[in-house]
Amino acid sequence: MTALLARPPAAVPGPPATRGRAAPAALAVLALAGVVLLLTGPSLPLAVLGAAAVLASAGELARRLHRLVTAAEELEAQRRDLVTRGRSTAEDLEVATRMMRARAQTMTSVIDAVTEQSIIGTDRDGLVRVWNPGAERMLGLPRADVVRTRTITDFHAPEELDTEAGADDGEDVAPAARFAALVRTAREHGSDVRDWTYLTADGRRLTVSVAITPRTDDEGEQAGWNFVGTDMTEARETERLKDQFVSLISHELRTPLASILGYLELVMDDEEQPLTDEQAQYLGIVERNAQRLLRLVGDLLFTAQVDTGRLTLTPEDVDLAAIVRAAEDTARVTAAARGVAVTVDLPPEGLLARGDALRLGQACDNLVSNAVKFTPSGGQVTLRLRRAWRDADGTLAHADAPGRSPVALLSVSDTGIGIPTGEQGKLFTSFFRASTARRNAVPGVGLGLTITKAITTAHGGTLDVESAEGRGTTFTLALPLLP
Amino acid sequence: MDASARVLVADDEEDIRLLVTLAVRRAGCSVVAAVADGAQALAAARVELPDLVVLDVSMPEATGLQVCAALRAEPGTAGCRVLLLSAGASPDDIARGLAAGADAYLAKPFTVAGLVAQVRLLTARDAA
Repeated sequence: MTALLARPPAAVPGPPATRGRAAPAALAVLALAGVVLLLTGPSLPLAVLGAAAVLASAGELARRLHRLVTAAEELEAQRRDLVTRGRSTAEDLEVATRMMRARAQTMTSVIDAVTEQSIIGTDRDGLVRVWNPGAERMLGLPRADVVRTRTITDFHAPEELDTEAGADDGEDVAPAARFAALVRTAREHGSDVRDWTYLTADGRRLTVSVAITPRTDDEGEQAGWNFVGTDMTEARETERLKDQFVSLISHELRTPLASILGYLELVMDDEEQPLTDEQAQYLGIVERNAQRLLRLVGDLLFTAQVDTGRLTLTPEDVDLAAIVRAAEDTARVTAAARGVAVTVDLPPEGLLARGDALRLGQACDNLVSNAVKFTPSGGQVTLRLRRAWRDADGTLAHADAPGRSPVALLSVSDTGIGIPTGEQGKLFTSFFRASTARRNAVPGVGLGLTITKAITTAHGGTLDVESAEGRGTTFTLALPLLP
Repeated sequence: MDASARVLVADDEEDIRLLVTLAVRRAGCSVVAAVADGAQALAAARVELPDLVVLDVSMPEATGLQVCAALRAEPGTAGCRVLLLSAGASPDDIARGLAAGADAYLAKPFTVAGLVAQVRLLTARDAA
């Protein structure tokens, strides 16, 4: 029993059934000791008392023993649980480690599989730590020659970094300042995507669109920077040539058009030698088509400006009602000739917005002339202008409420041939023409809506379309108003 | 309008040169020279000291902008009125023309009536 009690509880051996027999055995021993003491005692009362005391002690001892055994059993159960849990934790850890290794391997293989983009990772000071095959290919240096030995700024045109750092011409700029200039926008805004000039090992200069983002460690602390680059050299050169081509073509078209229209004007307005009706009619056709060509040249130039981000606005206070009225005036003759009725619904007090009057007029003209053009004889075109409000989520409402901002809604509805549902998403793409337009031989090149959308967007507005083939179309232009 | 206003015309396109000449005459002015490039325009301006120079922007030898700046830099021609004509019609094009010292800018294609009105306006100012 002593040995049993001295043993650490957690090490109690055997199943509970075996240990359960220890309590009756101890009781028997204690009872025997009590009887011996009783028989050898000096007197009966004392012997009786002694026996009672012994019996009481034996009972207490037995109860204590029982408690200890129970505690030992509980501790054993806990030990087993802990052992099981420990084994489980070790297994979990191993699984997690394997998953981490697999994930790291996946990341490495993904990064290594990228051969058309450079992925360069640096530490916080710009020292290269990651250099994928795309970077090897783009910049002409193997990973072993770069990692931990070169900084990212070694591969950037220094003059660009110096300009970004605000240095004067010829001023000596420290490498750290160049690196700080490179990542400044990403540091301030969380990311930065723009063109930079990379210098390759063989001395070529590449125009590279570089996305710069901070890289964090497992505790969320910034550990460095990621630079993901796409070689845009050919694309940018193509854009430049396209821009140059459009400018050249537009110049070369405008100059002969100046002659055609100028001499036509001289002939048609010659009061000393008036034209016959037939001559006037023919020359009128020449003039109309020269004007059409001129509009096309203007549209091409405008589209090129939008594509290259050179669309500029001259903002002023503009009465949108006046613009709608002017568009209606412009379209009236053509609409009447086609048998299309045009009605306007304008707020009598007008509606002032901040914008470029010329460009807004162009956008409105495009919508109205399209509506007239796509509406068969006997149809109806309705121009409606009203004030509305927009929720933060963009939903339009007809009443003011907290959180809503005022907008001007200009809708141009027609009862024309409509646009198939599947084609409505492409309407604002340059040169796209709906199948209904082609089927009905409606003239046009597909730039008007692209231009209208670009003007709307440049004003912070939206342009939406609802259409049902054979029933008609409504374009809704929403422009923000000053609160 | 000053009936005696003297105008120099410079454009490398012969058809446009003639058209501008006709418009200048419709405006009641006389054409002292009609030349085809920037160098000739500058030389003719130094000799003729016209009241108005109508310059195409895109010309060989010297652009209309260069000629305009040169005219403004020389005391003898600094007072000439300059009207620029150009196929470039963007706000940037116009701003560059006016920055070079031009008094007015007309984008091609222009209307003859518009050109006549501009010539009258500039020569009338000159007379005033």
